[in-house]
Amino acid sequence: MAVRRADHTRASTMQWIPYLFLLPAFILLFTFRIAPALAGFREALYTHNLSAARRSFVGWGNFAHIFRDPIFWKSLRITLVFSLVTNPLQTALALALAVLANQRVRGISIFRSVYLLPVVISINVTSTIWGLLLNKDSGMINGILIQFGLPRQPFLLSPDQALWTIIGIISWVGVPYWMMFFLAGLQGIPQALFEAAAIDGANAWQSFRYITLPLLRRIIAFVLISDTVVNLFLFAPVWILTRGGPQLSTNLLMYDAYRRGFVWGDMGGSAAMMMILLVIAAITVAVEFLLFRSREG
Amino acid sequence: MNEKRLTRRDFLKVSTGATVAAVLAACAPPTPAPAAKPAEKAPAAAPQKVTTINHLSIWSDDVFAETIALFEEMNPDLKVKNEALSWNAFFEQIQVRLAAGSAEPDTLAVDVPLTAPYGYRGWLLPLDDVFTEEEKADWLESSLKAGTYEGHLISAPVSTSTQLLFYNRNAFEKAGIEPPGEDERWTWEQLADAAQKLTFDEDGDGTPEMWGFIWEQVIRIYQLQPMPMSLGGVPIGPDGLTVRGYIDTDPWIEAFTYYRKAFNEWKFAPQGDVGWPSDTLFRPGKLAMEVAGPWNIKQNIDANLDFEWGVSRHPYFDGGTIVTPTGSWHIGANANTKKIDAATRWVRFVSTVPGAEKWWRTGSHDFPAQKSLLEKIKTDPQFEEWPWKAERIAADEATVNPQPRPVTPGYLEYEEILGDTFSDIRNGADVKESLNTAVERIEAEMDKYRK
Repeated sequence: MAVRRADHTRASTMQWIPYLFLLPAFILLFTFRIAPALAGFREALYTHNLSAARRSFVGWGNFAHIFRDPIFWKSLRITLVFSLVTNPLQTALALALAVLANQRVRGISIFRSVYLLPVVISINVTSTIWGLLLNKDSGMINGILIQFGLPRQPFLLSPDQALWTIIGIISWVGVPYWMMFFLAGLQGIPQALFEAAAIDGANAWQSFRYITLPLLRRIIAFVLISDTVVNLFLFAPVWILTRGGPQLSTNLLMYDAYRRGFVWGDMGGSAAMMMILLVIAAITVAVEFLLFRSREG
Repeated sequence: MNEKRLTRRDFLKVSTGATVAAVLAACAPPTPAPAAKPAEKAPAAAPQKVTTINHLSIWSDDVFAETIALFEEMNPDLKVKNEALSWNAFFEQIQVRLAAGSAEPDTLAVDVPLTAPYGYRGWLLPLDDVFTEEEKADWLESSLKAGTYEGHLISAPVSTSTQLLFYNRNAFEKAGIEPPGEDERWTWEQLADAAQKLTFDEDGDGTPEMWGFIWEQVIRIYQLQPMPMSLGGVPIGPDGLTVRGYIDTDPWIEAFTYYRKAFNEWKFAPQGDVGWPSDTLFRPGKLAMEVAGPWNIKQNIDANLDFEWGVSRHPYFDGGTIVTPTGSWHIGANANTKKIDAATRWVRFVSTVPGAEKWWRTGSHDFPAQKSLLEKIKTDPQFEEWPWKAERIAADEATVNPQPRPVTPGYLEYEEILGDTFSDIRNGADVKESLNTAVERIEAEMDKYRK
């Protein structure tokens, strides 16, 4: 009886041990992620336009104000278009680049290092340099276009080109970054599988389609979800290069929230906008999870 | 006997303390050997407690150096630590720090149209009792009024401003055009005609080596407001909130059609990011004319430009009214500062003579807001000969129908949204459509102040 009780006590102690190991990570997660999000939600229910003494509870007032604002809906549309284009584009290009970088040829490590160079440069520096390169009057890109007899392009000054230019710039950084994850995944696939497929007469596309893709499914899911979150909260290139313009064509929600809070001092409105962005991110990530889970099932 | 045993923790405390003390002792400057004992012990002077004032500004320490040195000499119990930030970071930090109720900075530079928004939010200390009536009377009435919110002085005037037409005389010679005289005032139409002739693209790559003209603050309402006002336009309604029916009217459309043409049709002004044109275009000799502030006079002199330069008056539209910009930097004290006495002494020093004179002559070179100093520009022999004479021309120009920016609690939103709008027009957007969008955006933002 005593032995059984001791076993029971040990078993119940053992039950708690995994949670103890998780505790430090959870404390950090709570302090730096969950608590600020909760504080942000609380903030979204107050107005900060007035002085601290006159700070008042407005309930859903900030949300109502944002939903009435036509600029918000335009920014939301731009943010969704931006995400719908950027995430699949970056994921597909990163996968393609990883397959290339996974080839067993002499000097491939040099190519891999070159591909990774954009990742090690700060996004602020990258944005500034691209801003100079793409300058309408003095930029190098336009200099090259003119040499080939092509017309000068406005790039970041045109409402039709600015968003696509920013997608290009962040993909220049994003594609090699996400490539690293795919490359790690590719190198984890046993070579024997490809050899067996080759013996069975599979061509390169069939090997990719029926071996590589299924075995990379989890990594694809991870990359797509992480990329979605990163791009939904993209800020620096917009702040540095366009400030939401021209004609609000790059006014992503994250930048709009920043401007509302830190330029205009409307912290309540900014927090409300961030909450909306958080909900969009949560829904998108949930859909992506479901999509990959159902395929696995 | 209550004998306490030395525990391991006690031992650690003692040994750590000893180590820290040894390290500190090693780092400390060598102590001089004690001097021979004086015959009579001198009465020890009570050590004076020095208070440090944290001041937030956009100017680097070297710009502030002489002003701070004079202040500290006159106030041995005070020190000033200047925290310099870039233009954008400056306004954003104020938003974050003052909104959070931070006790620092103790004092800050206040761009004068932000007096109302900061006053509305209760961020600045009332300064009514800090100044004597005589000191208040020395400020320009317009500056005193601009620093007052709901009857209280909350930002003390330091500087005011005007704008002049600066030109590169060599470019005019090359184009075979006579530049305007120092008391002559061109119309915008005359300026557009000359600017096109002053734009040179000699290598034919589509990018001129010499641009004809640009506004120094190319998308800021401060610099552009005189254009619609010259045509009878008004920047905001009398309630300080309404823009519908004001910034979408014919004078605004006409003025910004001119502005759009400058960049897109006549192409005498560059599009895109040009930084601060006085630094990036005018002084390097790549710009024939700019409407710019008098702070450029000293900067041009110091830069030893390799071309002859001159100044003329602020342009106006043919048949319209002459209007010039005004307003500049004031200084305020944080309402939450814990050093009220020190902060207000610094504020008073910078905004009155002799501090204001030191700041004008050795600091920012912004135009002083003190009548006694403006008078010095008229009488000081330093300003009789070119190039310092340009200061005297500017002092006179500052009296020609200066129009302040709108007084509104929503100035931050107003300025930022109009900045976006001017940027779009500059890059080719339709004028009417852009101004209508600006109306919608500003009206939506002003709603929260209509309570």
